Amino acid sequence: MNGMYGDGPDAFDAFGQDPFDDEEFDDQQGEQGDDGSEFDDALLEEELRQAAAILDPVPAELRQVAMDAYALYDMDARLAELTFDSLVDAIPVRGALDVPRMLTFTAGELSVDVEVTSEGLMGQVMPPQPAGIEVLNGLQALRPTTLTADAMGRFTSDVPPAGPFALRLRTGGEVVVTEWLRA
Amino acid sequence: MRAGTIPSTAYDDMPYTRGGTVDRAEVGALVRSAVDGDAAAWKALVEGLSPLVWSVVRAHRLSDADAGEVYQTVWFRFAQHLGRIREPDKAGSWLASTARNECLKVIKGLRRLMPTDDPQLLDRVSEERTPEQSVLDSEEAASEAERIRRLWQEFAELGERCRQLLRVLMASPPPSYQEVSAGLGIAVGSIGPMRQRCLRRLRARLDAGEAL
Repeated sequence: MNGMYGDGPDAFDAFGQDPFDDEEFDDQQGEQGDDGSEFDDALLEEELRQAAAILDPVPAELRQVAMDAYALYDMDARLAELTFDSLVDAIPVRGALDVPRMLTFTAGELSVDVEVTSEGLMGQVMPPQPAGIEVLNGLQALRPTTLTADAMGRFTSDVPPAGPFALRLRTGGEVVVTEWLRA
Repeated sequence: MRAGTIPSTAYDDMPYTRGGTVDRAEVGALVRSAVDGDAAAWKALVEGLSPLVWSVVRAHRLSDADAGEVYQTVWFRFAQHLGRIREPDKAGSWLASTARNECLKVIKGLRRLMPTDDPQLLDRVSEERTPEQSVLDSEEAASEAERIRRLWQEFAELGERCRQLLRVLMASPPPSYQEVSAGLGIAVGSIGPMRQRCLRRLRARLDAGEAL
């Protein structure tokens, strides 16, 4: 079941999220007791729904991006799932600020290690092999930056990905795409 | 199939019948149609589930820029995973859960970068004005606008837990409790009682304000 959520086991359960039944709910002073009915609750929730639609709606340009994202649906490409993310799986180094983001994507036998820094990205295809690599970067997904992995599978780019990005690898007649990620 | 037809069919005419009784078969059917290449089905999924994704992102109090990037990442990833989603009927929960995980990564990344973690920095309010907001500026709508602004203000001043929960519950169409659970990482069974407390707390704030 975990695989359904893309990021493997939910590593966040303990992260910054105290149980909801904390002291915020210990204070009963402001409660209305039995005065409030479920009908009133439903009404108030509906008013909030209207307020949200007016004051904090999905921005139209973002909705359009989601519409256009259907173009990214590609039955023929193999999906390389994110199997390691230093932001989640690594122990933070005390005092180290600009630590690179280390990512590993895996599709069967093939894996791609990627290191993202403020200077750009570098990586390696494993097992080592040449590959053509496109860096898909958010809205520019249709005009990707292209890189080439050498015989050792190594590749570099001096442009750090901004926002959501994915790598599309062409190697040995196969197309592999890494899971979309926010750098 | 047209966009905009999902909310009423997928979520049924009883928005408060939640917690597993809402029929999700339509969402599953739309996912399967999109898998088969039906672009209209994809559009309908975006129309019907965008507000849920946005609400989960907003509940986590990210900056506008981060919120936008998380929202996009979630939909890009959904498009990627479309043919691999094991339970198409639960696509809403999949989206909510993915949005939550991405939000927590942003928060974790920020904590790492900013030793003095000032929550105010994460709490920018959008300056953009929607057409609906402009309508609110017209004079005849002034009192209605005032009512909505006050409701929003009192909502914003609720405790963190209530603010988070209500922000997700107010997605349109109303999310199922499974989706709320996936988006906030809380047990389905605790949502009903928490919702009641939070709404009554909000009403108490509104009543107190009127009494002044």
